[in-house]
Amino acid sequence: MAETTILTWAAERILRKLLGNASLTLLYKSGANKHGLEGMVQRCSLQGSTVTVLDIPNYIFGFFMLQNFPKSTENSQSSYTSSWFLSKKSNVTEEKTLFLNIILKIINNCLQFYISDKLIACIDTNKSRMYLYDSLKEKFAPISETLYYKELEIFRVEGIKKDPQYIRKLSTVTYHKEKLLAELRAYKTYTDSVSEIHILLLGPVGSGKSSFFNSVKSVFQGHTTRQAIVGSSYNSITEQYRIYSVKDGKSGKYLPFMVCDTMGLDERDGEGLCTDDIPHILKGCVPDRYQFNPREPIACKHLSPVTSSSLNRIHCVAYVLDINSVDKLSTQMISKLKQIHKEVLNCGVAHVALLTKVNNCDEVLESNFLNMTSYTTSQNQVMTVNKMLNIPVRNILMIGNSASKKELDPIKDVLILTALRQMLRNADDFLEDLPLEETASK
Amino acid sequence: MEVKTCLTWLEEKSLQNYFGGKQFSLLYKASVHGFSNSALLQRCSTQGPTLTVMYNKCFVFGTYMEQSYQEKKRDFSTVFVLQNAKISECKIGPDEPIALLSADPVFGIPYSNFSVQLSDKKVILQKDINKKLGLLENSTISIEECEVFRCEDLLDQRKIEGATVLRDSLLSALRTYKPFEDLVPQSRILLLGPFGAGKSSFFNSVKSVFQGHVTQQALVGSEAAGISKKYRTYWIKDKNCGKFLPFVLCDSLGLSEKDGLCMDDIPNILKGHIADRYQFESMKPITSNHPNYIHSPNLKDRIHCVAFVFDANSIEGLSHEMVAKIKTIQRELIKHGTMHVVLLTHVDSMDLIIRGDLMDIYSCVPVKLKLQEVHKKLGFALSDILVVSNYVSEWELDPVKDVLILSALQQMLWTADDYLEDQPLKETC
Repeated sequence: MAETTILTWAAERILRKLLGNASLTLLYKSGANKHGLEGMVQRCSLQGSTVTVLDIPNYIFGFFMLQNFPKSTENSQSSYTSSWFLSKKSNVTEEKTLFLNIILKIINNCLQFYISDKLIACIDTNKSRMYLYDSLKEKFAPISETLYYKELEIFRVEGIKKDPQYIRKLSTVTYHKEKLLAELRAYKTYTDSVSEIHILLLGPVGSGKSSFFNSVKSVFQGHTTRQAIVGSSYNSITEQYRIYSVKDGKSGKYLPFMVCDTMGLDERDGEGLCTDDIPHILKGCVPDRYQFNPREPIACKHLSPVTSSSLNRIHCVAYVLDINSVDKLSTQMISKLKQIHKEVLNCGVAHVALLTKVNNCDEVLESNFLNMTSYTTSQNQVMTVNKMLNIPVRNILMIGNSASKKELDPIKDVLILTALRQMLRNADDFLEDLPLEETASK
Repeated sequence: MEVKTCLTWLEEKSLQNYFGGKQFSLLYKASVHGFSNSALLQRCSTQGPTLTVMYNKCFVFGTYMEQSYQEKKRDFSTVFVLQNAKISECKIGPDEPIALLSADPVFGIPYSNFSVQLSDKKVILQKDINKKLGLLENSTISIEECEVFRCEDLLDQRKIEGATVLRDSLLSALRTYKPFEDLVPQSRILLLGPFGAGKSSFFNSVKSVFQGHVTQQALVGSEAAGISKKYRTYWIKDKNCGKFLPFVLCDSLGLSEKDGLCMDDIPNILKGHIADRYQFESMKPITSNHPNYIHSPNLKDRIHCVAFVFDANSIEGLSHEMVAKIKTIQRELIKHGTMHVVLLTHVDSMDLIIRGDLMDIYSCVPVKLKLQEVHKKLGFALSDILVVSNYVSEWELDPVKDVLILSALQQMLWTADDYLEDQPLKETC
């Protein structure tokens, strides 16, 4: 009889998701092994990262250890990067994780876990019991401090980055995503006279403008959305001006910002968005679904009346650029971007750059998800955009490639929400900077 | 050093399928754990059936054993060689599993006609075994690596139960699904694709899942000209309460380079001008004076999501004309603001894919490559490409297939919601 896990398939999927969609290989089962701790060490040493799971009624509880399992049961002591987790089997959304740097000692058939010199957990393999103390007891309050487990299983974890900072991010990303979502749901515009922030997406064909809107909507919906049609094409897929609103979930309310999508820029004259159209868009004179004509700027008769122009005024412009193409932009495209940027500056509109299709999403933000890493801010592409358009580094944002997303990835989601938040903050600064009379007239 | 197999996906998959649809769990790797019997036995004892794999410069070989290492029962085992994507085998034994390891006084292991000497990094074979395996007559083979895997069924009872739970959850969600803000009573999904792609089969499969047994309302066939010449809007009754489900699948004439669906009919379908059972003509689109023409269609009559349906095995063979036709249709969809997904059918007939793979189908290398191919050739976004296995010759339902079918349907309904949300306000009044 082959050794098989007691985890249900659904529980295994939850566990893999907690570990960043890693693969799991069962190495050890307490019930199948008669040699106790000795057997555990024999099977699990020199296997790389492991996750230990305890079978407790209604819960999946356990801990991930980045470094190799101990080699010996004789007075062993080792340092570990670890992530502890508790997840309800029936409700995936109830999930607690805790990142800890611990010391593991093996003493008298017990695995003992310490932070500094303080004991925080103990597994007595002879009695099939686990004891939690201090921070672990507080964090995982739903389960009692003394756990009786029916089974203890240890898996090798494959396909996970061997980086303590990545483990820390993995442990805390859900918390930060929920925090960002709550912040954005509670967002109110700086001034009551402006009920919605309008964010304009500008950039070359294929840079990911429409995908960005889809990604924003997907995060709030909780599943993949396709409202803005995307695809690979030599010419712009988007040929209309679109003003998209975002709902907070299918039955939620609309959020107080709009994402405005335009035809893509093209380096060739007479192709892509006409640069003469930019001032009209910025002033809010272009209605939703206006059909752009690359060879003909907007005629006066198509513009909305001046009296209602403030409703669609642009408060923040996002230059959307594929990070893999930033260093290969033609002189014509750069010239177009600079021309547009001059118009944006003339109108005094807040602006950011959004670099898309970033590969190493987990390296963009620091472990606490508060700031960009120095690695991010020193990248060549960031400095290229910084010099090209004179945009401050702090306003150059990054998001991942949405192309291959089948299920939402919380680290990518945090980047999307962070970018959106920065756009809204910049828009608030823009509104705050408006002369009082202009504010009053809106 | 990382504990990871040297086998390529293709090699591992070939072996897994060869030994009966297995899943391999790597337990021991000599270059990490040490080229010694004790290191191997510490990790591989009492693990159930195992596959021991050895790597030579020219080929991969090893043994499959039903009995655990340390098991005292004498049994036959299979020696195999994997070379140039082909597997040859030879039965040896009966012996205790431990006999595989080289004679070692400490463990009391006797000599065998196929024995591994880990510490010396070599394997000794008897001549007759060499011959049966198609190897050159050489009694000693040097090895560079040795790996031992535990072998489990790829699709075990645990996973089937997991699929059943997930299937039931999806069924419940889809039965209670409501189109965006109840703008329409049912979401309408149009199936578009070449003849033989599996459009009607997909509808039949969806209906089967909701019926609880395999059903065949839409006629299917393998004739070159296909069967569907009429426009059909299929409504499905919920077996539980007798009401119609909140979606309609619309099936049209297949696409073809010559005959097939008239391109000028597509806008009419999208806008909802064509009634159920309209007889298509390849060369003549519907006109407004046709008795089946719907003059003032409402939002509820329109197509809310288009699913392009392709047989996963025929992507390579799509002609230039067909590719151009599909791209023309894509532009038409963009013009109309109709959102789309892509549905690849017959995924389980792809090379090396078996039923057990359906549980985690998007992780399979051939499927990933196929999605890339569709993306490059036809321009669809990777996240818009869905994979299913339709019911073709079965009589009873399979929860593993059901999950793929229902997940694809769910994506289509979410996409229809996006379409409904995208409508200008005046259209919804």
